[in-house]
Amino acid sequence: MRKRGLVILGVLALAVVAATLLWAAPSYASKLSEALAKTPQGTGPGMIHPGAPKGFMGIPGGPHSFWLFYILWGIWVGWIFSSVGAFGGIMAGVGHISVFGLSDYASGFKNTSPALNKLMTDAIRTSNQYLVGLSALISSITYYRMGRLVLPLGLFLAIGGILAGYLVPLLTVGEMNVNLYVGFFGIIVFAVAFVLFYETTPKGQEKKKAAKAAAKAFEEAHIKKTTQVSAEHAKGVQVTHWGLSKISFTFYGQEFSFNPLWPLLGGFVINAISALIGVGGGFLYVPFLTSVAGLPMFIVAGTSALAVLVGMVVNIFNMMVMRHVPVDFLLISTELIGIAIGSVLGPVTSRKIPEIWLKRIFVILAVYVGIGYLTKGFMGHSIFPGM
Amino acid sequence: MEMPSLYLFLDPYLIWFYRLTGQPGWNFIIGTSVVAVLALMVGELTSFLASLLVRRHFTQVAGEAKKYQDLSMEALKAGNRPAYEAANKLANEAFGKAFFMQITLGASFLWPIFFVLAWMSYRFADLEFPVPYLHFSLGYIAVFLFLLVAAYFVFKPLKCRIPYFRRIQAMLAASSRAAKEMKSFADLLAPGAEGKR
Repeated sequence: MRKRGLVILGVLALAVVAATLLWAAPSYASKLSEALAKTPQGTGPGMIHPGAPKGFMGIPGGPHSFWLFYILWGIWVGWIFSSVGAFGGIMAGVGHISVFGLSDYASGFKNTSPALNKLMTDAIRTSNQYLVGLSALISSITYYRMGRLVLPLGLFLAIGGILAGYLVPLLTVGEMNVNLYVGFFGIIVFAVAFVLFYETTPKGQEKKKAAKAAAKAFEEAHIKKTTQVSAEHAKGVQVTHWGLSKISFTFYGQEFSFNPLWPLLGGFVINAISALIGVGGGFLYVPFLTSVAGLPMFIVAGTSALAVLVGMVVNIFNMMVMRHVPVDFLLISTELIGIAIGSVLGPVTSRKIPEIWLKRIFVILAVYVGIGYLTKGFMGHSIFPGM
Repeated sequence: MEMPSLYLFLDPYLIWFYRLTGQPGWNFIIGTSVVAVLALMVGELTSFLASLLVRRHFTQVAGEAKKYQDLSMEALKAGNRPAYEAANKLANEAFGKAFFMQITLGASFLWPIFFVLAWMSYRFADLEFPVPYLHFSLGYIAVFLFLLVAAYFVFKPLKCRIPYFRRIQAMLAASSRAAKEMKSFADLLAPGAEGKR
């Protein structure tokens, strides 16, 4: 069943790739050259001085930081990933937008060269995606291999993801100015802040404690009993009903069902966020599926991993190969070195700093960044410094 | 475009692989294949080093996910839905931590690929390869990716024949026992599997 599922999803992804191939886009070098050619030359704001040292993406006078700063920021991102998790992707985006000055530089061309402004927005998005999304792709391959696939669930997730991975770049590459992008990024940051905040509240903590107590009680009551594996249990995942409004399957003698519309919409929304903003996506599938269908984590891990695989392949192929969105590979490479180093530091500090305090710090940071980006994006300037 | 000093140092060695034959097309394919393999090998090495350094923490996190996942399955077997939901929730949280740990380890594998792409952007940014029968051309990135994927599948079975990488694989297998035990349910539910657990 896994092989059949993989084949079906692979064919779907290939179909999208083939459809995309029919619409050629200008090459990477020509897109950037065209945008630079349309930009007035000079030393004033919103101008390109051809004699200036080359910076980001090889743009004369473009932002450029000492390579160690990229590594240091990557260490920060990697540390957050390995300590708390989700917030690391946000920080990766903050680095590209604010810390390395890419957003402010792009904003300078809003009136003088909208093409360059929008090209830089796409470069920032794609940089975020490479940095976070590719690494998520690799971990998803690992979980897919370990997991068990629920074919109808994976199929609808992947269809939604593929649609988003195709449509969002098609509709937005070359169309979004950097302020709008920063505003949307701020909205996502607020959503993450809300989730993190809820987890630190007494109510959020109470739910976790209750779950631990219930699990422990069952474990202690169950520890001496051995339940025989019945014929029903041995069947694994069995799809019992395919319908437009309900798909049912049994697993371990229990019946699970879901409305196929939810994974379709969920796959679309999650991969749309990933394709639009460049962060988020992979980690949202599992909590989404467990809350929508109440599925066992084991099944959800493998099924959603497949959806992440397919969605990410489409996103990256579309942005990178088809839309030829330029990125600064040296920037990405040095940041990835930092993330790898940060991944080693996270386990060390997690023994000394309680997770709840880390989350509280990140909530404050997320609210700061969220408000800063929302005001910057939709009002034209951030009310907080440094954004 | 001027190369940074590190690339200026490496450039003569890397470009040598692009000048082995007299045919530009073949030169590009051979040279790109070689740098793709080099990127893979360096990525494997740094990924291994990172895995070694975090294996204890990762094993603990993966072990927690496995523990609650197994408990949720036992609850399902016993027909205890509330216990299943409680254990499943905890399994999800632990899985999330393991997932993000894996993301960071993924970075330790990927960075040489982007390092190579950055060098190639200085050398081959203007190259285009027309695709036959389509009004479309591929740039150096697409060609590199195809060759990288091919190199990955060629390198994978050969890894165990290279003494250094064979030792790495043996060490990784020995140190990631808890993560490896999260295997397919097909294994757990197979006849006679009870005795193998």
